[in-house]
Amino acid sequence: MVAFARLAIFGFIALTIIYFCLSIYSRSVRKGKLEEWWEEEGQPGDREEYIAAGLREYEGSLRRKLIWGVYVVPIMAIAAIIYFTNFH
Amino acid sequence: MAYVKWAFWIVCLVLLVAFFHYTLPQTDIARVTDTYEKRIDFGENSIFWAAPDAGNADTLNNRDVFFIQAVRTNGRVMVYRNEDTGWGWPPYFKFDTSNLQAEASDLKSTAEAPKWVAIRHYGWRNEFLSIFPNAVGVWGVSGPDASKPVPWLNIAILGAFAIFLLGIRAVWRRFKVRQIDPMVEDIGEGLDAAGHAVASKRGRIRAWLDTWKPKHKR
Repeated sequence: MVAFARLAIFGFIALTIIYFCLSIYSRSVRKGKLEEWWEEEGQPGDREEYIAAGLREYEGSLRRKLIWGVYVVPIMAIAAIIYFTNFH
Repeated sequence: MAYVKWAFWIVCLVLLVAFFHYTLPQTDIARVTDTYEKRIDFGENSIFWAAPDAGNADTLNNRDVFFIQAVRTNGRVMVYRNEDTGWGWPPYFKFDTSNLQAEASDLKSTAEAPKWVAIRHYGWRNEFLSIFPNAVGVWGVSGPDASKPVPWLNIAILGAFAIFLLGIRAVWRRFKVRQIDPMVEDIGEGLDAAGHAVASKRGRIRAWLDTWKPKHKR
């Protein structure tokens, strides 16, 4: 169990770092796009408000939720490897 | 300098290839001749051994390890160890060591009545270090000419790693163009300016010294 705890704790720390880096990166990409869209749409209304509204929409979007895959994919992969190595 | 650079990259490449060659699974077609366990006292070769069976104490300097003796299709022998990797490295998450030993024992055969099997394993056999590849799976096949399964997992892992390297390269290039090149240019310009300043200053001192000389020597 000590070995499992070690894997779980260090794995969680590593994935959390990746999760936060990816979240920040993805948000900044979206912000850049919103700035572009604001220009393309002929500068509708206040720029800051347009970007803030776009980012609020992004927070609830599927793209934002897909970042949880950082945790989900490795766990699924480990489960699959355990199954195929030991029980297949 | 170019040689140092090349040597560095060649060493990196060799280490990388060795790492993947050791860690990724390979399949041998072979005939199991015997299975046994042997007490191993881990020494210099201790990093080439995996973990004790999951749940057992992992603080001991020696323990019994399962082995599988085999003869490959080319007639040469190979000895595999059979150890749990548990939750550690490499990430095979293998816990069924004892079951695998039972399966391998069941597939034992003699040269007269051969029963061919495929043995999936990772690791290296090296006589000078007494290290053995770790068997991960064993299953019966039709004969010595049986085809090995396509290594989809290896293809996927190496492909993902190649994409990762290309990504790193792209980020590094962008970083170099944006950050390092302007800085190097700045330094270059700074050095040039300093050189000019020193030259002009020296010129002025020289001119002043020359005022002390007789006119025909200036």
